[in-house]
Amino acid sequence: MGSRFTAIAAATVLVLGMTAACGSGGSSSDAGSGTIRVMVYGDATNKVEKQIVETFNKTSKVKVVLDTVPGADYQQKLQTVINTPQAPDVFFNWGGGSIQPFVKADLLLPLDDFIAQDPGLKSNFLPSVFNSAVVDGKPYGVPMRGTQPVLLFHNKKVLADAGLTPPKTWDELVAAAKALKAKGVTPIALGGADRWPTLMWFEYLYDRIAGPGLFQRAVGGDQSAWAGEDSRRALSTLRELVDTGAFGSNFDSVKFTDGGSPALVAKGKAAFELMGSWYYSTQQDGNPEFAKSGLGYTGFPTVNGGKGDPADVVGNTNNFYSVVKKTKHPEAAAAFLKLMYSEEFVKAQLAVGNLPTTVNTGDFLDTSASPAYSKYQYELVKAAPSFQLSWDQAYPPSASTPLQTAVQQFFDGKLDADGFIKAMQALPGS
Amino acid sequence: MTSVPKSGAGVIRPGFVWAAPAALFFLLFAIVPLLLVAVLSFTHWDGISEPRFNGLDNWTALVHDPVMIQSVWITLLLTVLGVATQTPVSILLGVWAAGHQRNRAVLSAIYFVPLLLSATAVSLVWRAVLDPNFGVPSQLTWLFGDGNLLGSQSGAIAVLTFVGVWQFTPLHALIYQGGARAIPQVLYQAAAIDGAGTVRQFFHITLPQLRNTVITSTVLMVAGGLTTFDTVLILTQGGPGTDTTVSAFHMYQKAFKSFDFGAGSAIALVLVVIATLISLAVVRLSGYDRMRGTTEGL
Repeated sequence: MGSRFTAIAAATVLVLGMTAACGSGGSSSDAGSGTIRVMVYGDATNKVEKQIVETFNKTSKVKVVLDTVPGADYQQKLQTVINTPQAPDVFFNWGGGSIQPFVKADLLLPLDDFIAQDPGLKSNFLPSVFNSAVVDGKPYGVPMRGTQPVLLFHNKKVLADAGLTPPKTWDELVAAAKALKAKGVTPIALGGADRWPTLMWFEYLYDRIAGPGLFQRAVGGDQSAWAGEDSRRALSTLRELVDTGAFGSNFDSVKFTDGGSPALVAKGKAAFELMGSWYYSTQQDGNPEFAKSGLGYTGFPTVNGGKGDPADVVGNTNNFYSVVKKTKHPEAAAAFLKLMYSEEFVKAQLAVGNLPTTVNTGDFLDTSASPAYSKYQYELVKAAPSFQLSWDQAYPPSASTPLQTAVQQFFDGKLDADGFIKAMQALPGS
Repeated sequence: MTSVPKSGAGVIRPGFVWAAPAALFFLLFAIVPLLLVAVLSFTHWDGISEPRFNGLDNWTALVHDPVMIQSVWITLLLTVLGVATQTPVSILLGVWAAGHQRNRAVLSAIYFVPLLLSATAVSLVWRAVLDPNFGVPSQLTWLFGDGNLLGSQSGAIAVLTFVGVWQFTPLHALIYQGGARAIPQVLYQAAAIDGAGTVRQFFHITLPQLRNTVITSTVLMVAGGLTTFDTVLILTQGGPGTDTTVSAFHMYQKAFKSFDFGAGSAIALVLVVIATLISLAVVRLSGYDRMRGTTEGL
C-alpha cells in the first residue's frame, strides 16, 4: 500500500512539473525579455541551428528556445500546433505551397516591415531562392539551410565502358539509353516506389520544353496551361523515354529512400540517376569509394526546340524561417533572422555539407567539405534564370498525393497524356 | 466448468451498476469519438482554421471518388485473401502445436517470434528481402521475372497477403492451439477404438470441435483485414498508383497528408459501417450468437 501511494504521488508531481514547464514558455510578455520559440525539422543540420541560437542568446535579452521535431512528423506537427497558443514564434518550412495555407488563414507575418528596417534581409540572398517563399506578392520566409538543385548524376566507369560521354542534349541521352540497354545495363536508375523521384523528370522536361512559365501559370490557377501543345510535347517526350526501357521495367519496386536506386548506380548496374544534390552525401554514406572517384554530375540536358533556358534548374530552393503573426517579440525574431546571412552561419552550413544561398556564400566555398561540388552547384544556382521549386512543394500539401499518384501512373502506362492532363487540372490549387 | 450459474430463479442478476464502468469507458472512448467523427464528416476542416460546415459536400465527393470505391474492393479482396490463406495454415499449425511433445514446444516457440515483431519492422524486412535488384527475386529470376513485385497490382497484393500470413498466422495458430487443447481426449480415445486414423480424427473430431475457435479467429482476421494499414503504408504506400490503396490508407492520406479531416472522417464512417455489417453477418451466419456448446452429450 505504501509503495503504491509513493508511486501515485511521484506521478502527480511529475505531471504537475511538466505542466508548469509547458506553461512558462508562452506566458512571459514583458517587452525586452522573454523567449521566442523556434521550431525546426529534426535532422543532422540541427547542429548548425543550435550553434546559431547560442550565438544569438549571448547578446539578446529575448532568448531563443529551439524545438527540434523529428523529420517524418514535422508537417503534421506544425499543422496541428500552428493555430494554438503553443505555436512557435518562428518555424522551418519549404516555402511555396507549404506555407500557403497558413498565409491564407492569416497566421503569418509578412516580412515587409523587417526588410524595410534591414534591406539586407532580402538583398543578401539569391533572388531565385528568396522568391520561392513569396506568397501573393509578399515575402514570408528567410532562407535558413542549403539549396538542393536536382542534377543528373552518373557512374563515370559505366559511361566510359560504353564509350559514352555525359549527354548535353536530350537526343544524346536517348541514344545513350539505347546503347546502355543493349549492353545489359539499366540506363537510368529510378526509385519509382517513392514517387517524388519520378516527379523530377516531369519538372525538368516541362521546364526545358515549355519554359518555367507553364508551371507558374498552372500552379497559379490557370488549368488550361496543362492542356497546351508544350505540355503534350513534354509528356510524349517522356513517354518515349520510358518506352525505350530507359528506366528498366521494375522501377516501381525500387526506392531511393532505402538505398535501392543509389546502390544500382554505385554498383554499376545502372548509369544515370536524376536526384537532388543530397545524392552526393547519400553515396558518401553508402558507397564512399564510389562517391570519391566514380560519381559524375551534370545539369539536365537541353531539349532541341524547347523554350526553356538550358541554365534553368529545379529542386528544393532552400528551407525557410517564417514568423508567426501572433509572436510577442517581432523585433527579436527580426534580429534572429539577420543571423541567417552572417559569416558564421554560412561557414557552419558549409561545414556540414549544406550550400547556403546568401550572396556572400561564394567567398567561403573553399571551406566546404567538398569544394569542387559546392562551387559547381553554387554557380549553377547563381546563374539560373529560373529555379523552379519542386512541384509537390509548390502546390499546397493537399495536392501532393494526387500529384504523385498521377506521375507514377503515367510512367506505369496506366494514364495516357489526356488522363495525366486531367489529373493535373483536378489538383486542388491555391 | 463447475460454477457457472444457470439462469433461473434465485440467481442474483448483475444490475446496471455492474455494467456502468465498462459502459462508461465504451461511451467515452468509442461512442463519443464516433459521434465527433460523424459531425466532422459534414465539415471542411484543415486543422488550422475552425471547422466549417459544408453540408453533404464530403459525402457527394466520396460517392464520386473512384479511389474510394476501388479501395473498398481492394480492402475486401485483401480481407478475403487473408482469411483464406491464414485460416488453413494456422489451424494445421495450431493443432500440430497442441501436442505435448517437447520438439513441438521448442519449434512453436520459434515459430511464434513474428508475433513479437512490430508491423513496421516486419514490413521493412520484407521490403528489403523482396528488393528486385538486391533481394531474393534477383537470384530467382525463373520465378520472379524482373522482380517487379511491388510495382504491379497483382504482385503487390500477393506480397501484402504473403506478409499478412507470415505476420498473423502465429497469433491465430496460438488461438487454435488453445482450442485444440481444450478438446476432451475421450473423443479421440473413442475414435481410436473405433479405428479412425489421424486424418479422420482431424476432420471428424478436431475441426467440428474447433467451430467456435474458427469463428473467433475469423472475426479477428476480418477486423484486422478491414483495418489493414501499416503494412500498406510501408510496403506499397498504396501503390503502384492507387492499386493497393485500402480504405484505411485512403483515409490517412485524406486526413493527414492532404489535411482534409472532413473527407477523412467520411471515409472513416464508411469503414465503421462496413466493418459492423460484416461482423454482424459473420456472427449471425456462424451461429456464434446462439453460443451453442461443442460439448453436448459429454
